[in-house]
Amino acid sequence: MTLFIVRRLLSAIPVLFVVSLMSFVIMWLVPGDITAVLGGADASPEEIERIREQVGLDRPIYERAIIWYSSLFHGDLGYSYLLDRPVVDAVLERLQVTLSLATLALVIATLVGVLLGVLAAVKHNTWLDQGSMIAALVGLSIPDFWFGIVLIILFGVTLGWLPTGGFVPITEDVLGWARSMTLPALTLAFTQMGVIARMTRSSMLDVLNQDFIRTARAKGMRAHTVVFKHALRNAVVPILTVVGVTTGVLLSGAVVIETVFSLPGVGRLIIGSIQRRDFPIIQGGLLVTASVFVFVNIIVDMLYGFFDPRVRDGR
Amino acid sequence: MGGDLVVAQSSNPPSLDAMTSSSGASRNITMNVYETLYGFNEKIEPMPILAETVEISDDGLKYRFPLRKGVLFHNGKEMTAKDVKASLERYRKVGATGSLLEPVESIDITGDYEVTLTMKRPTPTFLEAFCSPRAPAVIIPEEDGAAEVNKTSLVGTGPYKIVEFVPDSHVRLERFTDYSQDTRYDGRDGFGGKKTAYLDSATFRIIPEPGAAVAALQAGEIQILDQIPVPAARRLEDNPDIDLYENLQWAFNVFILNTNAPPTDNPKFREAVQVALNMEEIMGISTEGLFNLNPGWVYPGTTYDVGDLASAGYYNQADTARAQALLKEAGYNNEEFTILTDSNIPEHGRSAVVIAEQLKAAGINAVINQVDWPTALKLRMEDTGWNGWTLQMGIEPYLGPVAIMSTLTGKRPHFVKNDEQLDGLYQELITGQTSEERKATFAKMQTRLYETFSIIKVGDSGLMQASRSSVKNFKSFRFPRVYDIWLEN
Repeated sequence: MTLFIVRRLLSAIPVLFVVSLMSFVIMWLVPGDITAVLGGADASPEEIERIREQVGLDRPIYERAIIWYSSLFHGDLGYSYLLDRPVVDAVLERLQVTLSLATLALVIATLVGVLLGVLAAVKHNTWLDQGSMIAALVGLSIPDFWFGIVLIILFGVTLGWLPTGGFVPITEDVLGWARSMTLPALTLAFTQMGVIARMTRSSMLDVLNQDFIRTARAKGMRAHTVVFKHALRNAVVPILTVVGVTTGVLLSGAVVIETVFSLPGVGRLIIGSIQRRDFPIIQGGLLVTASVFVFVNIIVDMLYGFFDPRVRDGR
Repeated sequence: MGGDLVVAQSSNPPSLDAMTSSSGASRNITMNVYETLYGFNEKIEPMPILAETVEISDDGLKYRFPLRKGVLFHNGKEMTAKDVKASLERYRKVGATGSLLEPVESIDITGDYEVTLTMKRPTPTFLEAFCSPRAPAVIIPEEDGAAEVNKTSLVGTGPYKIVEFVPDSHVRLERFTDYSQDTRYDGRDGFGGKKTAYLDSATFRIIPEPGAAVAALQAGEIQILDQIPVPAARRLEDNPDIDLYENLQWAFNVFILNTNAPPTDNPKFREAVQVALNMEEIMGISTEGLFNLNPGWVYPGTTYDVGDLASAGYYNQADTARAQALLKEAGYNNEEFTILTDSNIPEHGRSAVVIAEQLKAAGINAVINQVDWPTALKLRMEDTGWNGWTLQMGIEPYLGPVAIMSTLTGKRPHFVKNDEQLDGLYQELITGQTSEERKATFAKMQTRLYETFSIIKVGDSGLMQASRSSVKNFKSFRFPRVYDIWLEN
């Protein structure tokens, strides 16, 4: 297992190198730079040139690449001129919001999604099956920004139960944090839940028709033991893959939800930085999110081994 | 009195180092925190704020600014001439509009509470330019004088001080209890006056999604919404908990034509574009109904207003037949007419769509190139590759003719190829001794713009703001003033 983890970690290095190179080159190719934000529409060519000099954009590309990579090898992702802080700090500050949102949404989406999927598979071709799948499909199809606004109007404006937006750090006020996270997490979970439910259903249907399930039932085992202990455990690998991908997506920032609920998360940081052409944040942020993806994938691979001994033993 | 007020705005301030940013999102906050020597009053006339007054020598070469005594910075130190000199020297180096100090030869300390600016040449419009709030020449402590951009201690002399900034989330201001009120005045006036901080604190929350911002206002989580979409405002008109504020002199919507690239290098073609446009339709759609039609290049009722001079027969004509005749005369052969616009400022994109449709109806092969804002700013600096550019000018029309015309003259005017006649008039404008002289020059400039059609005035667009009705004494201005307002239950 240790060898497996080391091998996976080593294989992440070239992936991250390519990501860093691509983000650097794209930033070089994209038209416009930070002068747009600092100078505005009426900046004269002289003013623009002065700002470019101040932020080092007048340096040749190879020089900027050398600075970027030499800092990177020292574990330094650079410094954001606009946010006046190291990129690492800027991303870590935002990660608190993104982690809160992603964890809550993932827990809700996985629990509800798996339960709906199992229910649909067990009650195959009944109204419960169709009802669960319609709910899943609605979650998949409804645009998340629209659903978010509906929840805000209902729970924030009409009923006044929950705040309409903003983030309260858990370290400041636990209840405030939970209240600020409820609507965004529900919105995000609702849209992700559908994918998990549908995958669970199809995976469970495959397993439920196999001989060992029939044998388990024939032995007189209780229905829920058959479903949750035998069937679900065998159906879990494809579900895990979907949950893994969803985790990666959620951790790299759900920009639409963050925008609707005014949450200062990683997604908005990167999108805002693209609009401001804050190159260090874009490059550093992309590298961090790519690392999150790689890391989550490694964990998912390890979990495959946990649930399926054949993977663990290399069979 | 007291309490915490929450103001919502859609954009994150790119910087709180006031002199280095010309962004409105920054100004909204920083003008409650910092102050300048001179600024504009409500009537857009220069008024002393941190200065006692200004004495200008007869030859126009010396500006002596005695300073108010006893003014404290947020760090508790008293403001002296050393701080003012250090601030202005820094402004010259890193100020986003540092070039406004270009006519200044030297900045000298001529007393503990006195600074004198010596000019290279007489510049009668200097004081007006010096008052510009675009990227204001604010006074900061001497210790911050050598600070790089964005590296100051964020200390000013204003009624509120910055206590927390979480980018993309909020900026929190707290009342500065030792604030030195300017007792020469009765109350707030423009950027200056006697400012009273009634609120304990004011939080500027960044809410990018307009629907969410309106919901937060309705739920009472925010008390002032810096900009509310007009349709939402109309919906809330009858809501007793909400007050609405219309500011109809907020910005100019303009359409800039590239005088260097074909087919817009041909004045006859540009004239065709001018007469083809239906301004009422463009403004109605782009501003969602909050606008005034105004062919003039200043706001009606302001000092330099020359009315609709020279615009008769050109403004808001929607005359397709005449446009087609002019196109024929111009020898137009269906060349592509590229409209550059962006997606970040909704008015820009909406204007471009309506303009393109109107021009197509007149027989012009109009295509839209919609990019993001930084890309648009990069592309418009290219000499070719675009023909029209939709722009909303915010602060320049407020500042008056000198600010507007400075963008249309010099080596690289907005419309690319410079117009010598307009350049000459600009020099005449900035050296005009009296406002009457300057107004006469401005009249010639407006006439010239209706001869060259290098930039088309589409109309004046408004700003709609909203507050909870518990907010008292709020008045719409160039930034939300959180002083002199209070909350009532």
